Amino acid sequence: MSFTDSLMAGLSLVATFEAFFALFAGICIGVVGGAIPGLSATMAVALTLPFTFSLQPITGILLLLGVYKGGIFGGSIPAILIKTPGTPASSATILDGHPMAERGEAGRALGMALWASCTADLVSNLALILFAGWLASFALSFGPPEFFALILFSLTIIAGVSGDSLLRGALSAIVGLLLATVGLDLVYGTNRFTFGDPNMMGGLNFIAVLIGLFAIPEVIAMAWNPTAHLGKARTLGQSKVTFADYRRSFKSIIRGSLIGVFLGSIPGIGAAPSAFLSYSEARRKSPNKENFGKGEIEGVAASEAGNNGVAGATLIPLLALGVPGDVITAIIIGAFMVHGLQPGPMMFLLNADIIYGLFIGLIVSSVFLFLVGSVAIRGFRFVADVPKRILMPAVLVLCIYGVFAVNNNIFDVGVMFAMGWVGYLMLRYQVPAAPFLIAFILGPLLEDNFRQSMLMSGSDPMILLRGPITWFFWALTSITIFAIVRNISRKAAI
Amino acid sequence: MKFTKLTGAVALGTMLSATAAWAEYPERAINMVIPYGAGGATDISARTIAEPLGDAVGKPLIMANVTGAGGATGSVAVQNAKGDGYTMLFARVGSHSVNPAMKATLPYTLDDFRFVTVYEINPVACAVTPASGITSMDGLIAKVAEGGVSYSSSGVGSLPHLASAMVLKEFGVANPLTDATHIPQKGGGAAVTAVLNGTATFLCTNSSALSSFVANKQMVPLLVTTSEPVVGFDAPTANELGKDVLNKLVGWTGIAGPDDLPDDVADKWGEWMAAATQDAKFNETMSARGSVIRLMDPIEANAFIQDQYKAFRDLVDELGMRIEG
Amino acid sequence: MSPKVIQFRLGMGACLAALFLAFVAIPMWVSSPSNVSNIVLSPTFWPYILTVLTGLIGLGLVFASRHSDTQIAIEDGNQLDDLSWFRLAALAVIMIVTMFALPRVGMVWATMVVFVLTAFLLRTRHPITALVCAVTIPLVLYAFFAHVAGVAIPQGNFVRLP
Repeated sequence: MSFTDSLMAGLSLVATFEAFFALFAGICIGVVGGAIPGLSATMAVALTLPFTFSLQPITGILLLLGVYKGGIFGGSIPAILIKTPGTPASSATILDGHPMAERGEAGRALGMALWASCTADLVSNLALILFAGWLASFALSFGPPEFFALILFSLTIIAGVSGDSLLRGALSAIVGLLLATVGLDLVYGTNRFTFGDPNMMGGLNFIAVLIGLFAIPEVIAMAWNPTAHLGKARTLGQSKVTFADYRRSFKSIIRGSLIGVFLGSIPGIGAAPSAFLSYSEARRKSPNKENFGKGEIEGVAASEAGNNGVAGATLIPLLALGVPGDVITAIIIGAFMVHGLQPGPMMFLLNADIIYGLFIGLIVSSVFLFLVGSVAIRGFRFVADVPKRILMPAVLVLCIYGVFAVNNNIFDVGVMFAMGWVGYLMLRYQVPAAPFLIAFILGPLLEDNFRQSMLMSGSDPMILLRGPITWFFWALTSITIFAIVRNISRKAAI
Repeated sequence: MKFTKLTGAVALGTMLSATAAWAEYPERAINMVIPYGAGGATDISARTIAEPLGDAVGKPLIMANVTGAGGATGSVAVQNAKGDGYTMLFARVGSHSVNPAMKATLPYTLDDFRFVTVYEINPVACAVTPASGITSMDGLIAKVAEGGVSYSSSGVGSLPHLASAMVLKEFGVANPLTDATHIPQKGGGAAVTAVLNGTATFLCTNSSALSSFVANKQMVPLLVTTSEPVVGFDAPTANELGKDVLNKLVGWTGIAGPDDLPDDVADKWGEWMAAATQDAKFNETMSARGSVIRLMDPIEANAFIQDQYKAFRDLVDELGMRIEG
Repeated sequence: MSPKVIQFRLGMGACLAALFLAFVAIPMWVSSPSNVSNIVLSPTFWPYILTVLTGLIGLGLVFASRHSDTQIAIEDGNQLDDLSWFRLAALAVIMIVTMFALPRVGMVWATMVVFVLTAFLLRTRHPITALVCAVTIPLVLYAFFAHVAGVAIPQGNFVRLP
């Protein structure tokens, strides 16, 4: 079957009302689900899954993909408005999005988040359609040593999000790394800091830590001084994103999209590190470097491009290899299987019509995302107008429900409260929270991949330098560290 | 007229509440704990049966994923729940026979649960990549003798971990723990990826997790552990290779409550499951994923699980795989 | 607090934490099996590396504090009243009590009380709105999570919602 034939077959498959309606409905569900902290894109996809069993395969899968894409964007709404990331992927958006909202520019930040998301989504989908085969073979050359080198490099992001003191940033990161060791050991299955509590054996729930670290300190800080916010402009402001903003951030958006595509096509990394990496790269290259973390619109654009760039690209390993890149695509694979479809190289031959149908649907999804997102922003912006001393108790209650819903476990609510006090202490002592979060995500990956490499080689450290990919990332890491050290010594000299 | 209607309604209301007071189980929704994450084998199995089962029960079933520690977190949640039949667990081979056999520190034992049914059996298959050049179990065993063979799993104390050790031992490898290296991964998807990208040599896991890779010729199956061949797997059964013991090595999903679950509740579950497993769509969906539907009553289920647990426990003791501390 | 005090306290805290980890926490709470073939594979290897890093960062912070400015005082928000510490303590108590109340009383009722208490703790200027929100928000969230998302929200032992 030629390319045009496949394309026509795909078109005839998707060009139905149901397929587009499912995609549209999926994006709506996703945006709302992502906007509710704790519900997150993952849960929204899992909840939608049973409905797809009775649908046509392509309709069902488009529904799930819609939820996925909508959810990743939706997460940025509470991140900007109430400093609570709706999905882990949107935690980088907080860094600049929330300061903008505090300044009365919530509308502008949300608008930029949407524009960046849609652009990145489009880039990501195009990458999937054009380079799926090539990127997939690349993904399979990532074993534990390559992962180790990549993650080591990603940890250098910490320097980019540490604010004015690198040492305090490093301290924050180390606390994150330490807390991430709680749970069962990967290789021996023994207990680490679990104190015999079965709830601790699973490790600290990531979303509980995340929400505890960002949202709860706001509530506590308000108890310390309930009137601190008075006099600051916090009306939603009719501020809107302008085309000039978009053009100024365009480079960062494209860079972020490409980072997203690259990290998304490698199974097992996910959207949050990608958002942080994109953010720190944008900061490094930007002329307004000093303004990052204080409400710089380019920062919002970069983080949102970074996380939405992943969304299309995670389908690369899924479709081309049958390998799920993250939890969400693992659930989507379930939908394929229920319909008797087996993602993998053979699917491009056996079910080419479905593959091309999906591609067409995906391209349309970027447009739908823009439409639904615009409406959602208008709907949610009123949150910025709610009096803060009504909003804060509401955020607290919402977080309790949301964190419980993640794993149906009251213990996680306790983790969130405890992390709230840690976060508050860090706030008082001016220790930035972002390095903690990056370390908490990447720490276990670093350790696990290191130990898997050691198992593979029989404890020979040379395996960590086994091929060009590892050399590349080691070189990148060295260059970055060299640049950081030079910066510090320059500052010291002045 | 109005008055009669009202009294009628009140009378009906009292009657209904009176019958409810006789504790006709279930009088409200039942919480069903799934101890593994969304999209996993247990989750899909549980959510597929939930539909016909909900019809049989007549009250809503609320599915709750409580994940962590290889199924231990969710299992403990049910272990500590009241034995009133309103909190039940989808027990799985990993959480209720491999884990208790391997982990000394597990906060529960099999005696803390009362099994009401096992309804699904999953054959286990072992597979390698075509690039490895291995095409049969003999080839794999020969490679093990040369050294450098490794196997992946979804974590320490998971079914794939124990399965690989058991298969190697049955095929005459003297010391499976040192002659081949275990490279644990986080989760079943990562375990398959590890074999695909060459991190590990082989993997033994539920056939449903491998079927798409086998169909796509990305993996070569070497063995299935059931006595019957598995559709789509062009590999000998354990019995054809003369290793009947491996028939014990199967995955399963069942339903359990806390150990103080009353008899009448357990009986109810038996009836419901008998009705639910008759559902045509359920059977179709599950078979498409490579599962075998086999309904066991409480006694049979208990015997089956105990039997598998003992076999695993003996193997663990013999190989010194038990995790202390 | 000046930057000097902040750096110094953080540094000392990190050093103490490193000592605690090295001599108490890791030996007691990280179990390492006897059959570990190589030190780099041991479950305690990574925690010890982190401990060393914590100590180094702590020393770095203490050292850096000697060069920091003592003059600049960092604003701790505007005017503080005497009740700040009291409100912090009260919030902590609310959180602890919530943890006990959630499984026993039920999430909906517990969060209603939490809402009212926090709203008044924060001295809200809209008491009526706060009360209305306190009743409606938990109910709406319950309806959404329990009936749309199908989450088993804890119901408690007393009054159960449909």
